[in-house]
Amino acid sequence: MSTFSFAEATAWQCAGCNRPLEPAEVKVTYLNSVFTVELMVCPGCGFVLVPESLAVGKMLEVEQLLEDK
Amino acid sequence: MDQLQLRELEARCIQEEQPFCTAACPIHVDVRAFMAALARDDVRGARKVLDRTMPFPEILGRLCDAPCRPFCKRGEIGDPLAIGSLERFCVSRTQTMVKLPKLPNKGGKVAVFGAGLSGMTAALDLARKGRPATLITPDDDIGGRLRSLPAEILPGEALAQARTILAGYGVTVMTATSLDDAAVTNLIDQYDAVYCDRDAVGALAGPFAAGEPDPLSLALAQDGCFAGGGLGTDGNYSVIKQVEDGRRAALSIERFLQKVSLTAQRDKEGSCATRMVTVIDGIAPAAEIPPADPAQGYTPAEARAEAGRCILCECMECVKQCVYLREYKEYPKTLVRRIYNNLAIVQGTRNANKMINACSLCGQCTVICPHDFPVAEVCRSTRQEMVATGHMPPSPHDFALEDMRFSQSEACRLSRHQPGHDASRFLFYPGCQLAGSAPDLVVRAYEFLSGNLTGGVGLMLGCCGIPAHWAGQQALFAETLDGFRAEVAQMGRPTLIAACSSCLSVFREFAPDLAVTSLWEVLDGLELPAGERRRPEAALALHDPCTARYQDGVRTSVRSLCAKLGLAVVEPALGGELADCCGYGGLMQFANQPLGTKAALVKAGRSRRDGLAYCAMCRDNLAAAGRPVAHLLDYLFAAAADPDPLARANPGFSGRHENRARLKERLLASLWQETSVARPAHAAIPLLIAPEVAALLDSRLILEEDVRKVIEHAERSGRYLIHPGTGHRLASFRPVRVTYWIEYETIDRGFRIHNGYSHRMRLPEETP
Repeated sequence: MSTFSFAEATAWQCAGCNRPLEPAEVKVTYLNSVFTVELMVCPGCGFVLVPESLAVGKMLEVEQLLEDK
Repeated sequence: MDQLQLRELEARCIQEEQPFCTAACPIHVDVRAFMAALARDDVRGARKVLDRTMPFPEILGRLCDAPCRPFCKRGEIGDPLAIGSLERFCVSRTQTMVKLPKLPNKGGKVAVFGAGLSGMTAALDLARKGRPATLITPDDDIGGRLRSLPAEILPGEALAQARTILAGYGVTVMTATSLDDAAVTNLIDQYDAVYCDRDAVGALAGPFAAGEPDPLSLALAQDGCFAGGGLGTDGNYSVIKQVEDGRRAALSIERFLQKVSLTAQRDKEGSCATRMVTVIDGIAPAAEIPPADPAQGYTPAEARAEAGRCILCECMECVKQCVYLREYKEYPKTLVRRIYNNLAIVQGTRNANKMINACSLCGQCTVICPHDFPVAEVCRSTRQEMVATGHMPPSPHDFALEDMRFSQSEACRLSRHQPGHDASRFLFYPGCQLAGSAPDLVVRAYEFLSGNLTGGVGLMLGCCGIPAHWAGQQALFAETLDGFRAEVAQMGRPTLIAACSSCLSVFREFAPDLAVTSLWEVLDGLELPAGERRRPEAALALHDPCTARYQDGVRTSVRSLCAKLGLAVVEPALGGELADCCGYGGLMQFANQPLGTKAALVKAGRSRRDGLAYCAMCRDNLAAAGRPVAHLLDYLFAAAADPDPLARANPGFSGRHENRARLKERLLASLWQETSVARPAHAAIPLLIAPEVAALLDSRLILEEDVRKVIEHAERSGRYLIHPGTGHRLASFRPVRVTYWIEYETIDRGFRIHNGYSHRMRLPEETP
């Protein structure tokens, strides 16, 4: 399965590592389904950013789709 | 739901029953569709409707004696539709639009004696069914009695076209052929079945000489011989009767040739009864619009206007009132079919899940329905089935069930005898929503009850479990109810005084062994508190909650209390046993948030006045929808100096949460001198939230408690993002099944909240 990229340049930085976020592949799961997506992640500690637009947009859409499967 | 249950349910909805005209029509012309087409100026569309049912529209459309007319609902509010003139208008201005198919030849030789309209119809219908028919007449042309009509009534082209139609379907026409005794005897031997058009040839010899045909099948005593047409029992000649008999005979002959029952399941043939119900309240009367020039008939404008008087009879009584059925564009019959199909899906998307979970389960439709269609019970039991089979999506009910668990948790639940008593004759049960919406009113109501009733009035805080029942979570509901029962038993089985109609309905239905009454009936029996009270400036619309639909005593006492308080109230357009739901019922607002808001607006909109509710959820939801609304307890217990109860804002989910927890702490401290269980560490985190951010969090079902958990976790672990421009922090935390993201900034004494959102998908580092 191809990886969808939701990585977008962001001003948010990891406070703990004091580093900017970088695109990285992340496995997200819901109701027995696993997706590999590209998100902005702290290269130091792995903190994953889910931006608001993604959470209330595409992510919600997919969640509801999976719930009705 | 099995298929039998589906069929039984479907049969209770009458929306697909024939309208009165169609049922009365001996050949069931879809008059409603015909009128609708003409009313939108679609004359060709109207012709299509006639072509689908009428054997010879050019003839019948001009001559039909319209036995449907006395059944036209419009007749009760004006004059019945001028169906005859409109059909004449239609067929005069159109050519054939629909040519019905001809089935492949199935064999069987059929003769039709007499070529009147009845014989012609039988021959045509048989030919269409793939039974070659021979139309035999002693006359030199087809038409029988029709041939003598003047051209202005039936132009010659109409019969010419009938000849073309018959030829087109392969009917053999034998004119000038003797049907004397010898010929008839001879012909009967040559054919498998014979129909005699008695209008065209009268009584023939042999089997046709004597005896009346069976009224259902038109069969004569001799096998394969049928007769019909002619004058009716009233001695009059009816054009449509000729067609009806010809059609009936053709079907009988088809059955005869197939060697199946001539009579089984024919009750819907011919003029029949219908279960349709059409309510004409509110439809303005309208008289018939006759053509300006009767000789010329209708002009297109006149025809459009006359057809426009058609009411387009249907039921839709429940849909007219129900915001849910309108939203999903279903009526109960189609709704239940969609639900059945949704349940039957093994692999694929269950598109109707959201619809099933969006019904408020209020039962208004069942009261409206002439056949008590139980939409609510269908939706609720379907949810139960979905839960049982593991197909219930988690998102629609998670929040409400968590809210219920919180109300049932040690943070909120309470059960005590009245201070200074070791037994309770009564037990006040305000319910989770009143405790969440107006904790002050709970305190005052309890003070009043315990001061005015003897024998001890205990207090119990908690949730009756109805959210679990609505969510189809039977195990959780049963567990909640069992726990409740045990607690009431421990209190010595006092009489419960429920403030909430939902609690009351749950206890009455599922715990009938408990003694239960409503707060309203109790208050109505007591001397009301004295003192100067606040009064609204104008009369208020009294909004009954949907759960009081079957609680006549509650509704009566509420009105009695209003009268005693001098509160002027008016009844909204729909109330009492027809009351709407505010959007909370059935957890509608969680399954479909915009629909929940719509429901609140519809309920509030049943009156233009400010509202008075006696259900805490109705109160808060109508307030959330922007309508001034007070709770009846406000006027019972609030002092004149208190803020205007009509202006009380919706506390939102966070406010209700907090109110419930604080109510317990406050009551324990003030009445029982007890301290509460320690609050968790995050509870102490001070938040500063602007109203618009609070509204956003509320609409996204993010509680302040969740916000605190996120911040507590972030600040303790140091795991958060920081925005170099604004200095804001962004952190996430997943307490159970939802990940919450909070954008905040640290301020002097706490945290200012800027944004919040959530998702259910799990990120790699999250465990639950």
